[in-house]
Amino acid sequence: MMETLHRYGPDLLTGFGFTLLSWALGTVLGLALGFVIEIARRFGPRALGYPIRAYVEFIRGTPFLVQLFVLYYGGPLIGLRLDALPAGILGLTIYGSAYFTEILRAGFDAVPLGQIEAARAIGFRNTTIVMRIMVPVMMVSALPALVNFAIILTKETVILSMITVPEIMFQTQTMMSETFAFVTPILILALFFWGFIETISRFGRRLERRFTHYLIDRT
Amino acid sequence: MTFSTTLKSALFGLGALAMTASGAMADDLADIKSAGKIVAATEMHYAPFDMLENGEYVGFDRDLFDEIAKELGVTPVYQDLPWTSILPGLEVKKFDFVLAPVTMTAERADRYSFTLPIADATVAFVQRKGGKLSTPEDAKGMTVGVQKGTAQEKQLEAYGEKIGGINVKGYGTTDEAYADLMTGRLDAVAGSAPLLNFLAKTRPDDFAVVNPPFGTPTYFGFVARKGEGDTLVAAVNDALKKIEADGRMTAMQEKWFGAATELPMTMPQI
Amino acid sequence: MFSFQTIIDNFPVLLGAARYTLLISVLGCIEGLILGALICAAALSPKLWLRRCAALYVSFFRGVPLLIQLLAAYYLLPVIGINVPALVAAVLTVGLCAAAYLAEVLRGSLNAIPKGQAEAAAAIGMAPRDVWVRILLPQALKIGLPAIVNELILLVKASSLVTVVGIVEITRMSQSIAAATYRPLEIYLAAAFIYLAINLVIAQAGRILERRLTV
Repeated sequence: MMETLHRYGPDLLTGFGFTLLSWALGTVLGLALGFVIEIARRFGPRALGYPIRAYVEFIRGTPFLVQLFVLYYGGPLIGLRLDALPAGILGLTIYGSAYFTEILRAGFDAVPLGQIEAARAIGFRNTTIVMRIMVPVMMVSALPALVNFAIILTKETVILSMITVPEIMFQTQTMMSETFAFVTPILILALFFWGFIETISRFGRRLERRFTHYLIDRT
Repeated sequence: MTFSTTLKSALFGLGALAMTASGAMADDLADIKSAGKIVAATEMHYAPFDMLENGEYVGFDRDLFDEIAKELGVTPVYQDLPWTSILPGLEVKKFDFVLAPVTMTAERADRYSFTLPIADATVAFVQRKGGKLSTPEDAKGMTVGVQKGTAQEKQLEAYGEKIGGINVKGYGTTDEAYADLMTGRLDAVAGSAPLLNFLAKTRPDDFAVVNPPFGTPTYFGFVARKGEGDTLVAAVNDALKKIEADGRMTAMQEKWFGAATELPMTMPQI
Repeated sequence: MFSFQTIIDNFPVLLGAARYTLLISVLGCIEGLILGALICAAALSPKLWLRRCAALYVSFFRGVPLLIQLLAAYYLLPVIGINVPALVAAVLTVGLCAAAYLAEVLRGSLNAIPKGQAEAAAAIGMAPRDVWVRILLPQALKIGLPAIVNELILLVKASSLVTVVGIVEITRMSQSIAAATYRPLEIYLAAAFIYLAINLVIAQAGRILERRLTV
């Protein structure tokens, strides 16, 4: 056991590093892309509505694994040649953006129209209205869903192992095939993820409370 | 005894208990004969040994095992599994026999029961046609793909150390490595000679094998569980010898590898 | 060049593999509903240990990635003496996972049912089990229908992961075809559109059912 840990410990740590990296970048970039898409849908030309809807439906209607395969193995045929890690992060970004944009839409819809009209009446510009009024108000109602989806994305990162991103699942599988030990590593990995997700969920709930504590009654 | 081995033997003990309780015997051959079928698993992504054509499993292994099963007098049932799940699957009795060509290594021979060699497994490089390698040593400093968790991967790593550094990239299947070779993410792919020769033969405009092979000579064998699978391996070996002696092996080798090669009829030193 | 011919040639084989996708997701959803109802009942039970168990179950199955759960079921179950075929293991695992989510869905729906109903049923002498089966669950299923349909769609997508335990459903089949034809873009896109079509049909069927039930 100690010997195995000594030999594979560094690889497993590196793997966890890649898990965290792809998750963090995938979440942040996905949220940014989702925000851009939502703003385009809300303020852009009408004609944009259909392609955006098709994009969201396509991403949400197909498995993440298949999206990754299209991107990683199919991409080069149309000139998009990415290494596994960037392909994985881009995959998470695209996947995340479709869900984030829907969450943001619901959040924006919940912003009272009167607040926007009032801002416009006193001469605020569109950018100011979005950044100073709509985003802060929206965040309050959308935060639980955003945090929840960010947690879901953590679990999706293990799928990146299937396109050889050297994250923790990939490293564990390498270890398993070299040591012929199959039962213990999988158990440990399961327990590890459980603990990890419980921790970030707890952190997420604290974050949520901080943003919403001044709301007396949310119902 | 460490924690993990203790835990494992405890769990395995429990499993064995349940097995005995359900009336199973610890002899795979007897079980297979009484069931009238043998379940053999392989990853059907390993041309020319194992592949799918229009959803149908074909290849050297399929032809060979159809014959072996005939000799054993049982019906073969084929199962497709990712390579990383195959050896664990055998251990936990998800199937009876590993039909995938498994490179014979000392570590694996300690753990599993190998049949006689079924093909040459010596490792070579394949590159894009017109690529930069003229001898295997040219791979120094280049990016080379290989299937992860395989004996080829280990040989490639050892060879990289010998010639002063190769950037090794692991893949789930060899097909994915070939695809990446085509897209230019890789300079070469390391694999067993029969596979690479088949690839270069079927797609001569895309791929070229770098001769000679760089690895130490090794063989592929099939694998069964150690202990309870020993009688099965003995029966398969008898079948293999018969198939070799009456010329069926040569015909299959010519069909799938393009040429016949002599295989050792005793277990090679590994 | 994008080759539509490759897609046309291999479409029937992919569609054939879709049977497994559907089988796993539908059976998984049914199993998830049955088990989910039990877990939900445990979560609302007056007994503390039952509530604890339910919370632990939900937290575990929602906290561990399904890919790991599948591998664990594949490697671990036989070790403790349960050796079931890959398909059974896959359905079982997908269902166990779905149960955690569906238990929460049902709990949410139950909250929307006026408390008075259960109290009234108890007052006229209905046994607690009957209150559950006849009063609460049918309504919870109806209220939760959109979420349940949504879960079924998630399961269709999640079933792509059972490739790791050797079931040749849409994704595994498309991997094989992509390898044989060297046409990954076309094949994976075709696979994606089959998933999309399945999910759009399920979503539409869900909407029709919802309308029927609310009349």
